[in-house]
Amino acid sequence: MQGIRLEGLTKHYKRGGEIIRALDGVTLDIEPGEFIAVVGRSGSGKTTMLDLLGLLLKPTAGKLFIDDVDTAQLGDRQRAQMRARKVGFVFQEYNLLSGLNVLENVMLPLRYVKNGKDGKQHAIELIDRVGLSDRLKHRPAELSGGQAQRVAIARSMVNRPSIILLDEPTGAVDTETAQQLVDLLKRLNREEHVTLVLVTHDTDIAGQATRQIRLKDGKVLTDEKVGELVPVA
Amino acid sequence: MEIIRNVARHKLRSFLTISGIVIGVLALTTMGAMAENFNALLNGGVAYFGQNVQVGPPDGQSAALLPLSKIDEIKAVDGVAAAFPSYGFQAKPGAPPSFSFGVPDSIVAGDPAENDWAGLKTTFASGHQIDAGSSGQVVLGSSISKEFGKKVGDSIDLPIRPVDARPDFVNHSFTVVGILNVTRTAPDNFAYINTADGQMLLKDSLPIAIRDQVDVSKITQSVDVYAKPGTSLAALDSIANRINSQVTGVKATKPSETVNAFKSGGAIFTAITTAAALLALIIGGLSVVNTMFMAVAERVREIGLKKAVGATTYNVMSEFLLEATLIGLVGGLIGYGIGAAITIIVNGTTPPGQSTLFLLTPALTIFAIGFATLLGAVAGVLPAWRAARLDPVIALRNE
Repeated sequence: MQGIRLEGLTKHYKRGGEIIRALDGVTLDIEPGEFIAVVGRSGSGKTTMLDLLGLLLKPTAGKLFIDDVDTAQLGDRQRAQMRARKVGFVFQEYNLLSGLNVLENVMLPLRYVKNGKDGKQHAIELIDRVGLSDRLKHRPAELSGGQAQRVAIARSMVNRPSIILLDEPTGAVDTETAQQLVDLLKRLNREEHVTLVLVTHDTDIAGQATRQIRLKDGKVLTDEKVGELVPVA
Repeated sequence: MEIIRNVARHKLRSFLTISGIVIGVLALTTMGAMAENFNALLNGGVAYFGQNVQVGPPDGQSAALLPLSKIDEIKAVDGVAAAFPSYGFQAKPGAPPSFSFGVPDSIVAGDPAENDWAGLKTTFASGHQIDAGSSGQVVLGSSISKEFGKKVGDSIDLPIRPVDARPDFVNHSFTVVGILNVTRTAPDNFAYINTADGQMLLKDSLPIAIRDQVDVSKITQSVDVYAKPGTSLAALDSIANRINSQVTGVKATKPSETVNAFKSGGAIFTAITTAAALLALIIGGLSVVNTMFMAVAERVREIGLKKAVGATTYNVMSEFLLEATLIGLVGGLIGYGIGAAITIIVNGTTPPGQSTLFLLTPALTIFAIGFATLLGAVAGVLPAWRAARLDPVIALRNE
């Protein structure tokens, strides 16, 4: 089955003598092309869930399947390859490399996949689609917050991933820019049929997703469909 | 390109770090070139003395004089293929003592045919070998010819008359018939003359009281003994032993003793100079370690991001290792360049006739640049490992 399946996904940390249940037995199915907003208070497990989905963390218990692959069976190198090919990340603080220009930043993930060098044209197209074709050679310091985040979005898509994980992508920009970014994400979701999992505190933005998952104390409190799933072409 | 940009990003820090390597490689290049020069000189000695047996007067005899008839006795010893009389004199008697890496200017007299047997072959830059049976001809080594500004066809008085020469000082005019190519060892400072001329100089050197009573045509100072080509050092030692036991009134020196003396002298000099230079270079290497740790600390989020977009431990480690290696390589190239320039300038300003101080060899070039590059790489291992092992979740949220 294409898509993502979480089966009793659990992540516990030890802090001092105390066990922190960051994610506690979450079971979910995420279909291709969904636009999911994950909401909840600080410490509810949103970011932990994102890190697990992005294979940056290994679960304490439970299973995570991405496109039918049991990720628990993968070694570190295979996890890195899957992260490169199947997952895109967008962070609140953009995380663009200051020494690279816009095009080089977008092309960064291509370094870590085979035949990645062929992706330059795709990177240029993506930069064009996020409206920054006149900023190809600009450095991150020469961009506004909204522009930087659009570069980060283009970067997240350059390897044609099946899922993009967005951690508070509008947290560092003003409301108007935030809405422009969400519009861009919705358009890419619609056109590319890429799955978006967006962690946010902003209820307005969460309301524009097709599905809202509310977490509390590491558990799924609610899981609601709030819009139409974009049909897969 | 990104690696170069990362190094260039902190210009002052990179400059200081590379400077540490530059100073180390500069020291390694100049000290190493000095050691190479000294070793070339010693290697000439090894090549020469490792191929024959030197026979001189027995221990306790004050004058280095042997009857020429001893040569026939020596030739009769098992394993001896050839034996030649040999004479040696100071070319500049009475010259004030001076420290030099080279050997002093000397006049060497012998049979020109000995060159066919010698382990250290000399070749001619111009002119030719002394004619058989001739007298008054001289072949000059490269340094001595430059020192006195002589070329083929010129004449030179030997030995050179000292400034404060006594009234009874005698020298003779020789015609230069050949100039040797550079050997970087003893022959560069030698003036080669014929046996008969050597005997003439020997007579000049004898005390007045006995000068007219000695028939120098029947005397030699030493004998160079050769076995057939390809004879091992151990076999030559055995021949020396046989000469000592079978021929009276002579002392044959085992060539291995002479060779070992040369080698140990060279090894000690090389060890001292190279160790001093390596110490400087290792200190430079520590600055690379420090710089790379700082680079890792500054780029924690970058490392986290790269891991998030698919970089493996190997990818991250390679990037930092390459950066450290680049610092080592750049430092090595600059340090070697400056060091090479210094050695060339100093050698170029050495007065004619004095041995140059430095010898740059391909081996030294490869070692100096290669060691600096390797040092950079090794210095980068620990910081690169730390970078590669960073937890991406923590790294991405690093403030």
